[in-house]
Amino acid sequence: MINLNVNPCKMCMPMGAISALWGIKGCMPILHGSQGCATYIRRHLSTHYNEPIDIASSSLTEEGTVFGGEANLLKGLQNMIDLYNPEVIGVCTTCLAETIGEDVNAIVKTFCEQNRNLSVKIINIACPGYSGTQNEGWFAAIRSILEQVEPNTTPNNKINIITPLISPADTRWLKNFLTEMGVDYTIMPDLSDNLDGATEKNYNRLKTEGTPISEISAMAGAKLTIEFSEFTDERNSTAEYLKEAYGVPYAKLPLPVGVRGMDKLIKVLTEAGGVATYKVRKARGRYIDAMIDSHKHNAKAKAAVFGEPDFVSAIARLCCENGILPVLAATGSVSPKLRETLASEIDECREYHFADKTLILDDSDFSAIEKACDELGANLLIGSSDGRRISHKFDIPLIRCTFPIHDYVGGQRVRMLGFDGSLNILDQAANAMLEKVEANFRTELHSKFYKPKTEDKTTTHPCFGEHACKNARVHLPVAPECNIQCNYCLRNFDCMNESRPGVASKILSPAEAFERYAKLKETMPNLTVVGVAGPGDALANFDKLRETFRLIREQDPIVTFCIATNGLLLPQYVSELKELGVSHITVTVNAVDPAIGAKIYKHVYYMGKKYTGVEGASILLANQLAGIKMLSAEGMVCKVNCVTLKGINDHHIYEVSKAVAALGAYMVNIMPHLPVKGSEFEGLERMTNKDIMVLREKCGVDIKQMKHCRQCRSDAAGTLDEDISIELRESVPEKPQTEKPRRFAVATKTGAIVDTHFGQANEFYIYEGDEKNTKFLETRKVFKYCDGPQCDNKEERWQSVISAVSDCEAVLAMRIGPTPEKRLKENGIEAITTYERVETAVSEAAKKRRNVYGVT
Amino acid sequence: MTDLRTCMNKSVLEERRPSICDRRENGISCERESVSGAVSQRACVYCGARVVLNPITDAFHIVHGPIGCASYTWDIRGSLTSGEDTFRNSFSTDLRETDIVFGGAKKLTAAIDELMENINPAPKLLFIFATCIVGVIGDDIEAVCRTAEARYGIRVIPVKAPGFSGTKSLGYRMACDAIMKLILPHANQPKRFGVNILGDFNLAGEMWIIRGYLEQIGIPVISTITGDSSYKTLLLAPSATLNIVQCAGSSAYLAERMEAEFGMPSLRVSFFGIEDTTNSLLRVADAFGRPEISANARRFAAERTAQILPVIEKYRPYLEGKRAAIFVGGGFKAISLIRQFNELGMEAVVVGTQTGKKDEYEVINSLVNSGTVVLDDANPAELERFMMEKQADILVGGVKERPLAYKLGMAFCDHNHERKQPLAGFEGIENFVKEIHKSINSPVWKYI
Repeated sequence: MINLNVNPCKMCMPMGAISALWGIKGCMPILHGSQGCATYIRRHLSTHYNEPIDIASSSLTEEGTVFGGEANLLKGLQNMIDLYNPEVIGVCTTCLAETIGEDVNAIVKTFCEQNRNLSVKIINIACPGYSGTQNEGWFAAIRSILEQVEPNTTPNNKINIITPLISPADTRWLKNFLTEMGVDYTIMPDLSDNLDGATEKNYNRLKTEGTPISEISAMAGAKLTIEFSEFTDERNSTAEYLKEAYGVPYAKLPLPVGVRGMDKLIKVLTEAGGVATYKVRKARGRYIDAMIDSHKHNAKAKAAVFGEPDFVSAIARLCCENGILPVLAATGSVSPKLRETLASEIDECREYHFADKTLILDDSDFSAIEKACDELGANLLIGSSDGRRISHKFDIPLIRCTFPIHDYVGGQRVRMLGFDGSLNILDQAANAMLEKVEANFRTELHSKFYKPKTEDKTTTHPCFGEHACKNARVHLPVAPECNIQCNYCLRNFDCMNESRPGVASKILSPAEAFERYAKLKETMPNLTVVGVAGPGDALANFDKLRETFRLIREQDPIVTFCIATNGLLLPQYVSELKELGVSHITVTVNAVDPAIGAKIYKHVYYMGKKYTGVEGASILLANQLAGIKMLSAEGMVCKVNCVTLKGINDHHIYEVSKAVAALGAYMVNIMPHLPVKGSEFEGLERMTNKDIMVLREKCGVDIKQMKHCRQCRSDAAGTLDEDISIELRESVPEKPQTEKPRRFAVATKTGAIVDTHFGQANEFYIYEGDEKNTKFLETRKVFKYCDGPQCDNKEERWQSVISAVSDCEAVLAMRIGPTPEKRLKENGIEAITTYERVETAVSEAAKKRRNVYGVT
Repeated sequence: MTDLRTCMNKSVLEERRPSICDRRENGISCERESVSGAVSQRACVYCGARVVLNPITDAFHIVHGPIGCASYTWDIRGSLTSGEDTFRNSFSTDLRETDIVFGGAKKLTAAIDELMENINPAPKLLFIFATCIVGVIGDDIEAVCRTAEARYGIRVIPVKAPGFSGTKSLGYRMACDAIMKLILPHANQPKRFGVNILGDFNLAGEMWIIRGYLEQIGIPVISTITGDSSYKTLLLAPSATLNIVQCAGSSAYLAERMEAEFGMPSLRVSFFGIEDTTNSLLRVADAFGRPEISANARRFAAERTAQILPVIEKYRPYLEGKRAAIFVGGGFKAISLIRQFNELGMEAVVVGTQTGKKDEYEVINSLVNSGTVVLDDANPAELERFMMEKQADILVGGVKERPLAYKLGMAFCDHNHERKQPLAGFEGIENFVKEIHKSINSPVWKYI
């Protein structure tokens, strides 16, 4: 905005004048104005420099404003002398003093007349806050000091050094550098010790370091003045004043930053009798070397540089030398010359960057700077800590290297001059770029170029990827209905005692399912897969399926969706499944011959009609095969489950496997049939693990085999090895009462749940119990019965098991193979498979035993 | 012990001596203008007005004057907002030489117009702060504000706060008057059960903490005037039952005016330290005369005190017997700090404020030991003199005082407007203790 400055990128003249006064030995400043000016400036300086900053104020009041502040100022001067005993007093005016027309010269004269034996030198500096920024105040103070100190024109072969505001550390560097070059100099002001002081035994509230008045006097007799400013003019240039008043020649140089800045300084010093020593030449060489090292990193940088003109021009040049594009060079000062100084240089750099636009602003504010940063895509800020808000807003790193720095420590130690200082800035810039790249390149490139393929999701799907066991899945039981009846299946979702497909303890609504997912995700960050696997057919409950996945997808854009289906409705829903983001589909195909299918499927409901026999099996088969083909065409991953039923399809499995492989299925899971009590195939003999392994090996020639199936429940949750679905259930039915305790051996890893396969048990927990109460007796170690997939039947292990459980009525295990079940039975021990809390399982078993065998 | 007067001879200006006393003397000279050249730590009238109005988060605070005043007050306070953050910007008419010569009123009008044209949604509330020279050059900012109000149908409230017109306290009054100007037209509203919180700036979320306490014991908070407030919420203030005043220096006057205009009673509270926090909660609760609220407050305070005591006990052995110097803005805060140090087994040996009032100094005198030096509007030389004399181990103060303490090899507790950790309420007690411990027992002191 034109008439409104929004977030100033400048301060006022008194700030600069006071800053300069801190570089004079034994100086104490006073602001002729109202109390606040001193306090605000003190606050700004002390947080930047971390030094005590005492600034007196004449504390002008209403009365002083109306009738003149002479009395206030006279009293103030005396009080300062009493309190600080200074060698120099700098009287700076303010907006107020200038506006009411205070004649500070006259007041100071009066003071000196009143105090004849005064040993203090009083300098007055006109610095109305409305006439310029701290930069003008700084130069005004220096010039005023020179104008008001008695000159000593005796030639002294020294070089006068005038700088804009630089840090104490940079001042120290400059002094050392001049010494290294072998020149004798007077630097004025010299902030190096007063604003970066040491902790010492005795604190002196007066700043006793800095340029002494005697040396300032001698500046009139110097052989040369170097003024590090491209922006001073005849009004405020001390170099020009010394030339005009005492004939001291001068050179105006940019700040010694970067190669060109330093070369210019070295040249002038050499001409003035200095020598670029081996150390200096080496430092230059190292600097060039470092520039080269980081040039490509810096070529990524688009910097917004802001501050006072000399700072901005020095840093913008440094940027250009190193291939950093200064997209914005901005100053809060009125300085049209900034544009002239930098335009061609920045244009050249812009060409190198093929950039459209750069900006040079003067009389600017931070709202304009923020806007420009946004428009020009700045990715680096170089300036004061006042840029921190832009830095936070746009997440752009900020190199804090000029006054004021309020949010970091070390303002007094900022380095930007010389080869080392320039490198300090360059390294920070390069490292800021590296940091961004390092932190982001993986995700950036991934999201830019990587198109998620289902193959990728396959590796993190615990059922599809063998090495994905660390990933958890949840089966959401939202699909109660089924449209076919398999003879091996009993969809009994009230039963809690089984762990096998088709079983769920409770049907969830889509909303409840979402809630369960969301809750699980909180505690299970490795939950990468959400599946719907019944207890009915996922596609026979498509509305619920769709709603469930929609709810989850809203919250989680990446989780993998999978479903299990009999395939009857697959052709109808493939495209919609794809839209929903379902990537993995398991189709259970038990036969590719309708005659065999007819033995397996009792009936098939299709399009409102019930089909049986070969007719039903044919319809199902046709849809299964068509569906699998469509899935493969759509790039969706299809696993085919095949339940091996002894005497029904065990000789036919290879055909099934080969057929689905030809249609593009990804994997086949040949599973043994788990006989379910009450189902049609209840009495069917089981396949041994060995039989299954043989089948898998044979079929594996054509298609990938799943070997790690756990035949999960429809409401399974967690990793394949650790089903926690039991914990999600809401209540356990109450047990009816009974009497005498019976003894059971329980296969459990944790002691909490019957969670172990009989053959895998290392030990048994021995319990006694009736319907009401259970009591833990002891644990008994055994050799593992089943050690590996082949279940190598070693007799000694078996003996160990039998002896461990011989006094028990039954063994409770999650699952048990047919052979051991038979052998236990021979020993009069029942095998009960269950997946339940141990105590509940024991009670239930006791109840069952009583019902079957009566009271013992 | 050295006599205070003897001690003063060395480094205290004659004119400053009446403003320094200990318990053995009667009265302290305070509420006066600062002494020229004495290096007062005070700010100015503008500063006082600016800080009180600053946390009105959706207001545009426009500083009419040269740039300095706006620049030095840009986003320097730790007031947090739950809504807009317009207040964290600094708007200034940035007057230049020609404006001083020809007057700045036109520029102010143009600035308001520009703001109204450019900001979307349109601003509803503007404060126009006039700084030192505006009065001198004769800008009629009241007229500009009136015209703008009429033109845009918004509130544009002038705050004539030239720095020289008094002390920071006067600035507080001006801010309070500006708030009254804003809410007075909304005096007639149905009463609501609940309190306004005055004089809490929501530094590091402290107001939120206190509001949480009040709500927990069953007292709704209607409006928070000086912390996380907005145009809309300010207008609800006249409907509250009771004003509670945290920073008395800045807001007691507003409470007085609200009592006069709306018949709204007020209570002074402080939420620094266990004792003050507990007493304040009970006092506010009892003010409503509802037994269940009083009971809630007692239960709440007892619970929280029981939780915090072990923390204090943990640190206490490391702090007991240490000597503290206090130099803060207002008297009320100094009083709270003295009590808080007592809770830790520490002694306040130097107590100073920038703008404490007579009655507050009386309380201070009644709380401290006989040797404690009390100063009004102290300067760095006096602080240095008396902190060394009294062998203070730590100084609690503002940003400007921190480097002095460090140079004297003394620990420092940041208890100022820039703080980024809450020091009020029970949460603040823990932070305060840790802050004191971290500095006072730091290993660095072994090496100086």
